[in-house]
Amino acid sequence: MLIRTVNHGKIHIALLLLLCLPIVLSGCQTRTKQSSCVRCHKGIEHVSKTHGDCVSCHGGKPLEEGKEKAHQGVFGISNPEFIGRWENGCAPCHRYQFERMQSNLMYTAAGIIRNAQLTWEGEDGNSYTTHGEKQFDADGKPFSPKPVAELDNLSGELYRKFCARCHVGAQTTGVYSASHSSGCAACHFPWNNEGVYTGNDKTMKGKAGYSAAHTMNSLPDTQVCTRCHNRSGRIAFSYQGLNDGNNSFVPTRRGEGGPVMASGARNLTHITADVHFAAGMECIDCHTSRDVMGDGFAYRNMYLQTEVACEDCHGGAREVPRYREITRENDEALRESKNYKMLVTSGMKMIQTSKGRSYSNVFYRDNTVWVAGKKSGKLHRSKVITGTPEHNVVGHERLECYSCHSRAVPQCYGCHTTYDKSQDGHDFIKGADTPGAFSETEDYRLLSPFPLALNQRGRISPVTPGCQTFINVIEPDGKQSKTEYVAKYKGKQQLRFAPFYSHNTSKKAVGCAECHGNPAFLGFGQHVVEGNSIKGTLICERSDSKPLDGFLTMKKGRVNAYSAITRENARPLSGAEVKRTLSVNLCLPCHDKARDPIYRKGINLRALDDALHRRLLSGS
Amino acid sequence: MHWMMLFIAGFCLALNLNVASAHVALACSSCHRQGGNASDPAARSGRANGCVVCHTGHERIFDHAMGQRSGEKQFVQRSYGRFDSAFWDKNCNSCHLRGCLDCHGGAGLAKPTIAVCQRCHNGYFTGWDYSGRAPREDNMRYQRGIEVNGSTFLKMLPDVHYTVGMTCGACHSMKSLANGKKSSKKCRDCHKPSQNIPEHRIPAHLQRLECYACHSAWAPQEYGTFFLRFRNNRLKDDFDLKPGSSAEYLRSAYLKKQDAPPLGINAAGRISPIRPMFIAYYTDIMTARNNGPENILLTAEWRAYFPHTVQRGSVTCDGCHDNPTRFLFEPESRRIYNLEKDGMGLESFWLQTGQRVSNGSFMDAARYLRMSSKSPAYTKAYVEKWKTFLNRVKD
Repeated sequence: MLIRTVNHGKIHIALLLLLCLPIVLSGCQTRTKQSSCVRCHKGIEHVSKTHGDCVSCHGGKPLEEGKEKAHQGVFGISNPEFIGRWENGCAPCHRYQFERMQSNLMYTAAGIIRNAQLTWEGEDGNSYTTHGEKQFDADGKPFSPKPVAELDNLSGELYRKFCARCHVGAQTTGVYSASHSSGCAACHFPWNNEGVYTGNDKTMKGKAGYSAAHTMNSLPDTQVCTRCHNRSGRIAFSYQGLNDGNNSFVPTRRGEGGPVMASGARNLTHITADVHFAAGMECIDCHTSRDVMGDGFAYRNMYLQTEVACEDCHGGAREVPRYREITRENDEALRESKNYKMLVTSGMKMIQTSKGRSYSNVFYRDNTVWVAGKKSGKLHRSKVITGTPEHNVVGHERLECYSCHSRAVPQCYGCHTTYDKSQDGHDFIKGADTPGAFSETEDYRLLSPFPLALNQRGRISPVTPGCQTFINVIEPDGKQSKTEYVAKYKGKQQLRFAPFYSHNTSKKAVGCAECHGNPAFLGFGQHVVEGNSIKGTLICERSDSKPLDGFLTMKKGRVNAYSAITRENARPLSGAEVKRTLSVNLCLPCHDKARDPIYRKGINLRALDDALHRRLLSGS
Repeated sequence: MHWMMLFIAGFCLALNLNVASAHVALACSSCHRQGGNASDPAARSGRANGCVVCHTGHERIFDHAMGQRSGEKQFVQRSYGRFDSAFWDKNCNSCHLRGCLDCHGGAGLAKPTIAVCQRCHNGYFTGWDYSGRAPREDNMRYQRGIEVNGSTFLKMLPDVHYTVGMTCGACHSMKSLANGKKSSKKCRDCHKPSQNIPEHRIPAHLQRLECYACHSAWAPQEYGTFFLRFRNNRLKDDFDLKPGSSAEYLRSAYLKKQDAPPLGINAAGRISPIRPMFIAYYTDIMTARNNGPENILLTAEWRAYFPHTVQRGSVTCDGCHDNPTRFLFEPESRRIYNLEKDGMGLESFWLQTGQRVSNGSFMDAARYLRMSSKSPAYTKAYVEKWKTFLNRVKD
């Protein structure tokens, strides 16, 4: 019975196979019509474990043979996130990140466009972004900025022809060490210095305008950030201990300019690196994804979008770092850390950013704040300074941490910009050469000392020229219509400095006497003290009475500010503040340590008249 | 010969040369004497025999620094000359003194103006600074602004003597130069230090410091002077640097500053401004491109000198007494430039190790420690200084 049953079973299986044959064969035929992508792009790197199918990112017609047919409808040109197509490439799966990116300042460039306006013609009552997508402001109210292509003046020209190269709204090619893609790929598909594909796909090998390999980098490293953050404030350079100083090309390297070359035929020399970089930390170990990709709201300036602050990990003078325990399974930190070397888990006490959101790699454990390297997994112990006497000096509660803990602050003095309407320049937004070309010359660069002023938070912060723009305009007929013109800012012709964190942090702070005894730190520039006057020695070409490397003068005891500090509520120190700062010098020769108790109760200058001080000072 | 004299006189008249009044009254032959160099009686080659008839002894200027430039020649010999025996002729000979007319020529036989002196005394050499000019960076990006004799400069605070209209000759008389002296007047020949100034009441200041150690407001400083040699001129295209006098070389610098200069000890044993002159490097581009040596540190020499940037004021007390870097004792905690990583052969420009002062010395460590210790006398003067200043600052 059993045998018969088995025999019957064999017959049934054979019948079943016969019935299925057409289906099996048709399946084989389908396989022959499989994607032609990898047949041409043989050897191409697999993007990531979660990105399996070419078409879902790139679109196109994979069942067609031949490049022309198969590439029909491909999203983007060199990458699926090419602007105007990224809604098809990345956005279908990464909607959350896509919508944040559309408001992200690195993409909209709203801040730099506005700054260009303030330097040249002033604001015109409209908001502009790179592409003009609808936004939600910080209060959640919708608004519709205009695309910068419609900013039909010098500010718009300057942005489109100069600044636009370094913003993720547009791809940049052909620039050594600074070429990058646009959109998501700008950070997640790193390019090499040459901007040339060097992976295993022979059809692409050696082609310019592509990422180094077809490999996704979910956690961008410092080199990726450096592709853009190497101009203006040059924070990526300073962080790594590189100085874009005087373009001198020396010391040479194998007979070429050196020792390190950067975009724009600039040479970099080495300086002491930021203490965090020296410890092995990458940019993304401090900066959250909301810092770099936005949080869905449109901010006017990067300092409003950024949520990381020194105090988050190191504590303030009186407040220790704040943390919040992970209690929900949909906690943002859990989701964000899934690509990290060290996963965070439920129950961990995550340190909070200045905006009260959880870091995904900074946590509190065993009475210690720990920062985990997102890529490396390396644990860095963060020293908390709360309650230490050095950090409780009365008056210093007004200082940003990096006022004392910055070692080098890049300062570029005198930016002489020429707009020549008789020449053509490339418009990186419009993608065409149009009349009007920009060029720049410069006066001098400096790293230290650096001036301090009040920033938008009312805190005393390093400031750097931002910008000292002198405008020259050449009309189409060759006549110069503007010569070394200084634009109006806040109603008067004046140059500007901007609050700035140089990202060249030093464990050792600037010394008390070094700062209080050197008026250059207050904004007087390099100088001599003469009676009750402070005279600058590096002078502005446009005015004999104004130092180039400062914004304050003191003449016969009276302090005068002649340059503005950008941002709302920001300003140079007042005369009273200057006097109060310099008055500390009366105490410093004896009380030369910040931990001296006298500095924790406010300085009483009348103490100098008491019996003890009189005796000490008389030498008896 | 008579016709020759007439021709010269006629030629001068045709050129409308305004011979200064003292010379107008003279016969041509007074200067253009037979037996001498008739066409150029002021030529160095003839020891200015036409001039020295009256200006006795002034030909001796050719025997001293401006004429011989022996110090500079010796420097070149022990530095760049090791690699290129013709370096001097290629790079340094544009300021060769050819005769009296170099300084006294031009529109008439007159005392040289500041501008005349600055035809040679410019760039990194003392003289430009007197008018408030400091060298710009060598990259063409920085070569902008006003040009004088083809050179651009950073606008600086001019010397207080320049501001009141004093020419170089006010302190550097012809007699002093002919006698091989740098100047005819020292600061204290004209100035008596006022006792109202707290710093002047400190005996050590007046005994041990040159006046200009405090009163030089700024000084051009070049840290790491590079001469890049190009045997193929087309290779220069990769280096967007200011062209110099030599077709074969380009000059560049690692770092330029123009703030208050470092201090050391000069030949007189007094504290004086010092500056690199030169921390010299040499690269032969062709050799370097074939894996040969490059960035060769030839000398790390400083010179004590007098920047002509005098102001009534000075830096604050801390500018010297709490500033070890200014005496080349830079603490590592304050170091910014990482020279070792750049293969510069020095740990720091502001460390004495591996460097020397060619006409003096650096301050020794023990002396700096004594100077920077806050003695009761220092504290008293320091507080008085700041009190005096602050009492006159308005809120």
